[in-house]
Amino acid sequence: MSAPGREPGLDEEADRWLVGRARGGDRGAYEELVRRHRDRIYRIALRMLGSPADADDVAQEVVIQLWTAMSGFAGTSAFTTWLYRIVVNRCLNHRRGQRSHDQLADVDHPPVAGPESRVLAGEELQAGLRAISRLPEDQRVSLVLVQLEGLSYREAATVTKTNEATVRGRLARARATLMSEMKDWT
Amino acid sequence: MTDERTHDARTEGRLPCGRDTDALVAQVADGSAEPRDAHQRECPYCQAALAEFDRLWAPVRAVADHRPRAPEGLLDEALRRIRGVAADPEFGTISDVRGRTRISAHAVESLARHLASGVPGVRAALSRLVAAGGGPETSLVGGPEVTAGVAGSSTVVSITLAADLGEDLVALGDRIRATVADGIRASTGLEPVAVLVHVDDVLL
Repeated sequence: MSAPGREPGLDEEADRWLVGRARGGDRGAYEELVRRHRDRIYRIALRMLGSPADADDVAQEVVIQLWTAMSGFAGTSAFTTWLYRIVVNRCLNHRRGQRSHDQLADVDHPPVAGPESRVLAGEELQAGLRAISRLPEDQRVSLVLVQLEGLSYREAATVTKTNEATVRGRLARARATLMSEMKDWT
Repeated sequence: MTDERTHDARTEGRLPCGRDTDALVAQVADGSAEPRDAHQRECPYCQAALAEFDRLWAPVRAVADHRPRAPEGLLDEALRRIRGVAADPEFGTISDVRGRTRISAHAVESLARHLASGVPGVRAALSRLVAAGGGPETSLVGGPEVTAGVAGSSTVVSITLAADLGEDLVALGDRIRATVADGIRASTGLEPVAVLVHVDDVLL
């Protein structure tokens, strides 16, 4: 499948060089890696979570987690594959933690307007993010990776540690679910 | 009527013409709501379903088209925590009759890295202000053991980089030195007494 969402400007060779230096403790190299991928980290988090405030939190957590996990990166796959896995898992954990927190939350405190309006101009965009954030986890991950980020089925399978058929099936279900969810969209 | 047909299609999986709705959904999601084959060009069921799916898919398309950038400064705090709070104590100072301007070593590093990264032939560049400490001037040729830094209005910058394979590395080093020195001088007023260039790797 083609990769409609593939971002231009990826430089795996340069990433590999930076990762090698960062694993040796070069913080400057790590900062450069983060600079190169910061928008990607934020964008995946936003697409996974649907909320800029949550995306902010997760992006910051990921930057710290990546540094501590750098020594565990074997370098056998592309850095971006590893990065996708860490961001996606962090988002899923964030959502699960939030869900249990919400269950404990005081119902007398209604949600207040957060910084969502900061970047979410446009009804279509908001409706899309809302619908995606309501998808079941496995469908949402496949949709974000393949449909929105432009990964191939194989790359998405590597990120999710599944296989191409599984990713393909989950994506098809995600698309069908979204069509059904959006049926009142005008 | 159209709604009814496509709703049925979603629930039953096939249009009255026999076409699989999942395939039509995939067609729209992959970016083509236009009829693809002779059947679709003639079939009212397929055309209605494609149009309806295309409309319903618009919000997802809006998400795909949205390329948000990480908010400015968002990750700086996380990087500062990794770097350590007291890791950046150095400042250069520019004085004139109106007062003094202090410029942090980190600001000069960032500027140098940005300047070097923009030189054609450079794939990735890292920069650092070599540690202050008043070492002998002769150590300036030594690279990592250089012991100058930001002091007064002078600065020494070390650039470590990966270059494109096939580049004339000596000429590249000269271009980087000129670009970085001019840029630092123009932006900060600090005098770059040395710009050390270390080509660490060449990349395909």
